[in-house]
Amino acid sequence: MDWTTILRFFRGPFFVVSLLIFIGGMTYRLVRVLLLGWSRDRVKSRGSKAMGVLKSYAKGVLVLPFIPWVKRTFGNNALTYLAGGLFHLSLLTVVVFGTPHMLVWKSLLGFGWPTLPFPVIDWLSAVGIIALVLLLINRLTHPVLKLITRAPLWLNWILVFLPFVTGYAMTHHLCLRYEVFFSLHMIAVDLLLIWIPFGRISHFLFYFFSRTIHGAQAGKRAVNP
Amino acid sequence: MNTQSAMNAYVKEIGGWVAAQLEACTRCGLCAAACHFYQVTENPEYAPVWKVEPLRKAYEQRFTVAGKLKLALGLETPVTDEDLKHWSTIVFEACTICNKCAMVCPMGIQLGPLIHDVRAGMAAAGLVPADLHAATAKQVEVGSPLGVTASTWAERMDWIAEEWEVDIPKDQKGVDTLVVFTSIELMKFPDNIAAVAKIMKRAGEKWTISSKGREVVNFGYFEADEALTKMFMARVFDAAKELGVKRIVISECGHAYDAFRWTAANIMDVPIGVEVTHIIRVIYDFWKAGRISLKKGSYDDGTITFHDSCKIQRRGGHIKEPREILKWLAPNAFKEMSPAREQSICCGGGGGVISIKEADPLRFAVFGLKVDQMKAIGAKSVCMVCSNCRLQFTEGVAYHKADVQVRGLTDMVSKVLE
Repeated sequence: MDWTTILRFFRGPFFVVSLLIFIGGMTYRLVRVLLLGWSRDRVKSRGSKAMGVLKSYAKGVLVLPFIPWVKRTFGNNALTYLAGGLFHLSLLTVVVFGTPHMLVWKSLLGFGWPTLPFPVIDWLSAVGIIALVLLLINRLTHPVLKLITRAPLWLNWILVFLPFVTGYAMTHHLCLRYEVFFSLHMIAVDLLLIWIPFGRISHFLFYFFSRTIHGAQAGKRAVNP
Repeated sequence: MNTQSAMNAYVKEIGGWVAAQLEACTRCGLCAAACHFYQVTENPEYAPVWKVEPLRKAYEQRFTVAGKLKLALGLETPVTDEDLKHWSTIVFEACTICNKCAMVCPMGIQLGPLIHDVRAGMAAAGLVPADLHAATAKQVEVGSPLGVTASTWAERMDWIAEEWEVDIPKDQKGVDTLVVFTSIELMKFPDNIAAVAKIMKRAGEKWTISSKGREVVNFGYFEADEALTKMFMARVFDAAKELGVKRIVISECGHAYDAFRWTAANIMDVPIGVEVTHIIRVIYDFWKAGRISLKKGSYDDGTITFHDSCKIQRRGGHIKEPREILKWLAPNAFKEMSPAREQSICCGGGGGVISIKEADPLRFAVFGLKVDQMKAIGAKSVCMVCSNCRLQFTEGVAYHKADVQVRGLTDMVSKVLE
């Protein structure tokens, strides 16, 4: 079997299967939580829950270190803050605004959008890779992170790291042939998609629950979230 | 045996609200540095995320495919009796449920309420620290966690009325306001009760205390035992119904305020049309409506600061009221600690911690953070609106030999009525 066949399989049928597992798994997780039951809040509010929720999301986005409420947390966890923030920026920008990625979205959704120039995407990918390495070192050495990290979290890291490095290597034609890295990239992406419903990368979905809850809790008490 | 009771309690607590937040955790560890207990000891087990561990395990192993899989593959162990015993000391002695961690969590997870739920399992398993549970038992039997009997309570109230020359109406039907005090105020800060009486009289408020609903503190809520939480609140609600009052004023107890104001309606029947509010709000409203007037600048000598209590300010919302009053009383001398308001650092004595002897070294160590905060702004005195905080401050300041006077804001207000 040559690399072209392998590539065709992992970017074709296997990609579709992975995508379906991802969507099915996440839907199951979502429905499972929704069906656990939500009791109505009968407590009389002092302030506006909606306003609290709005502020909660604003606070979730405004994470720059010079903002007063961020300063202290930032000072205590500069590495997690910077590397974590840059990693997310890198991931989202590359996956949404990298030209080849946009083309995948286009093939799935039927429409495309303007993308960023290659050098920007390239540098951002490098930033993402460096951030991931720093986060790994932090996780290996910080006493709290060592305590709370179990096997699935290490797997998370590996499965997020692999698409990054294979993608980077592929665009830079490092060592091996293009098709080899492209295949490895697709295998890595497929594995990641399959894994997501089983691990904590699913936080991208539950984020919207917890941030809303946080905002509503603060809003009804008329305090800032 | 223990484990089974705890697990049953957890399964009962877990609805979508809890599950969604447990699912949202990315295990980034940012909550650790927000916790005053972790900051001072650097014990990784005091990280809020770790405190929630028994609840997370219960949820995952009972409700999720991944959790069942991890259990089957031996990647994770079920919760054991030993685990529960271990976590009992962590969640009762090294957590005040102050919820500061929720303010830094990038996901906004309400770690405080989740740790409260972890405590619920401990209560179900009979693993509440002995001192805390003894106080709870006293509240069940005698009606007060400090063991104040009905007759002692009445005598003591009479003594306060006589000593401070104030009227303290007892069991008066048909008045508007029922004020419920804490045993801490009764035994340790009687000046606060006298102060409230004085302010009420000056404002011309028709009010009463009740011999039936005489204790506002809720040790059931500290333990997170829902049945007891309800039992203790029912005593006050029943009294309010009998007396026909329009509102219940919670005096200086944070956890009690949280229970009455933000929890009661969701776990039990509450008297319809009876408002629940905190004493600082009442004083503020009197002042704003011109029912009392305060001598401007009467505390303007020597820097004075305000301590935000976790359950009355961060989780109660009464942030503006004490500040406006203080800016009037001490326009030049009032100075904020940093961080303050919603981001305030907890005193370290709340959540029942102060009643556990074994936790004394920890709570005094944690109080060091407050001492540093006060020193940084050169505070000569500090005031607050929670008698539990006030007790912790009084003991903490003495322990750290800090030269700061600890005051109750209500008492301060009562002394400068015009």
